[in-house]
Amino acid sequence: MQTVLPVIVAAAYVVVLTFVALRARAARQFSEFSLARRALPLALVFGSLAATYVGPGFSIGFVGKGFKSGFLFLGIGLAYALQNILVGLLIAPRLRALKDCHTLGDAIGQKYDRRCQIVAGIISVSVCTFFAAVMAHAGGVVVSDVFGLPNWSSVIVVVGITALYTTFGGLRASVITDAFQFTAFAILLPVTLLVVLIFHIKGGAATFAGEAVTATAEGLDSTSLIEIVGLVAAFLLGETLIPPYANRALASRTTRISRNGFMLAGLFSVVWFIVMIALGVAARSILPSGTVEDRVLLNLVGSLTHGGGYALLLVVLVSVVMSSLDSLLNAGAVAFTEDIVKPFAKLPDEKALNVGRCATIVIAAIAMVVAPAVPSVIDGLLICYTIWASAILPALIIGLFIKRPHPLAGILSMGVGTFVAMSAIVFWFIFPSMIKAPAIIIPALGAALLAYALGHWLGRSKSGV
Amino acid sequence: MGVVTFAIVVIAALFAIGSGFWVAIALVRAISRHQTTQNTYHPANDKSDHGDI
Repeated sequence: MQTVLPVIVAAAYVVVLTFVALRARAARQFSEFSLARRALPLALVFGSLAATYVGPGFSIGFVGKGFKSGFLFLGIGLAYALQNILVGLLIAPRLRALKDCHTLGDAIGQKYDRRCQIVAGIISVSVCTFFAAVMAHAGGVVVSDVFGLPNWSSVIVVVGITALYTTFGGLRASVITDAFQFTAFAILLPVTLLVVLIFHIKGGAATFAGEAVTATAEGLDSTSLIEIVGLVAAFLLGETLIPPYANRALASRTTRISRNGFMLAGLFSVVWFIVMIALGVAARSILPSGTVEDRVLLNLVGSLTHGGGYALLLVVLVSVVMSSLDSLLNAGAVAFTEDIVKPFAKLPDEKALNVGRCATIVIAAIAMVVAPAVPSVIDGLLICYTIWASAILPALIIGLFIKRPHPLAGILSMGVGTFVAMSAIVFWFIFPSMIKAPAIIIPALGAALLAYALGHWLGRSKSGV
Repeated sequence: MGVVTFAIVVIAALFAIGSGFWVAIALVRAISRHQTTQNTYHPANDKSDHGDI
């Protein structure tokens, strides 16, 4: 009975997910596959954005941080909310206003030149693939926990199901299934928190507040200032307009929906961080103090409910992973088709659609292979943030705001940003005690900005402007 | 102070649950409307950039 019930719950979840994915229907044109025909309403843009950013880091990771450091990470998470609101106010409407733009590479290509588009495309595909590997790793851990399967087969199950509906349905299937998955976790995890607060904490509000104060003080004591600055920088910039978010900005029905979708997603992130951290704080009076951070949410759920309830909440955690994974697979495939293949070959719509589908499968396969090598969810995400923020953001954001950006500045910024970020990551792997992971983003971003300034100055001198 | 912290956490949880229901309603509308569109599919409208999902 103990193994049958989880299987029934998981099977029921897969049936409902399949029904939702089938209702989304297979994409028949590349514009459907890449941008859902630019017809997304506000609630779906918001739900899909929130489902994409609430991955294992913002659920399992934040509950663990709440357990160890109390509300310290809420302050750091506010940088993420601010980033979403600023993107909504300043960048998303500008992106949405660009004509014939499917990807960030397209946007960079329109502002600089085709070479810059190809470089941005290569970076986008690589970052999406590694992000997908991090998600596959996290999904494998959860599935293996529920069913006791070996880790490699758990990774295959999670990535296989996600790749299946993303390959056929493209962005529309991704957004519709994201909305379903968002509904599941946005209702069930806060309900879990309310149940814990009302029925499982002895001493009620006073005990909870006491644990929150103690944990936050411990967090402040154990985190250095440079780590806090690095984390704030990583949360402020690391996920800014990563390809799946940019796709949703571009696929919104209007520029207004694009702006409001990002702003609402930013505000929701504050609420979400409070709920996740509160779960971690509440867990302090239920779990042993030595519990490993990444296990806090799983162990808390396990201590509250057994059988079907436990399986349901774990399936919700898998959906947290899948909703991020599908967005990354689709964004990587669209970037590959639009930014790497299309600049070299004139593709009719049907061929572009097929290339996009094949790319989805290849990215999913690479993610499966790389997943076991991912060090940990948080470290994996920090690596992705560092590369993305340094390689793409200076060229993209400055390019959207200045009148005549120089291609040399774009190329130099992307090249130097990638090189410095990769070198710093390799250095961190070899000498982990000499450098703190969150701090890597600061020199890498600084180098990319300097390279941009140099390229801009050289470009202006060359053209005599 | 303890009661205020507790109240903020409870309000945040209720807000998150409300967001979940809002997106659920939009999802149901989107997939049922899409089915209707599919049943009355006209090739001439297929290239429209502004229809609902």
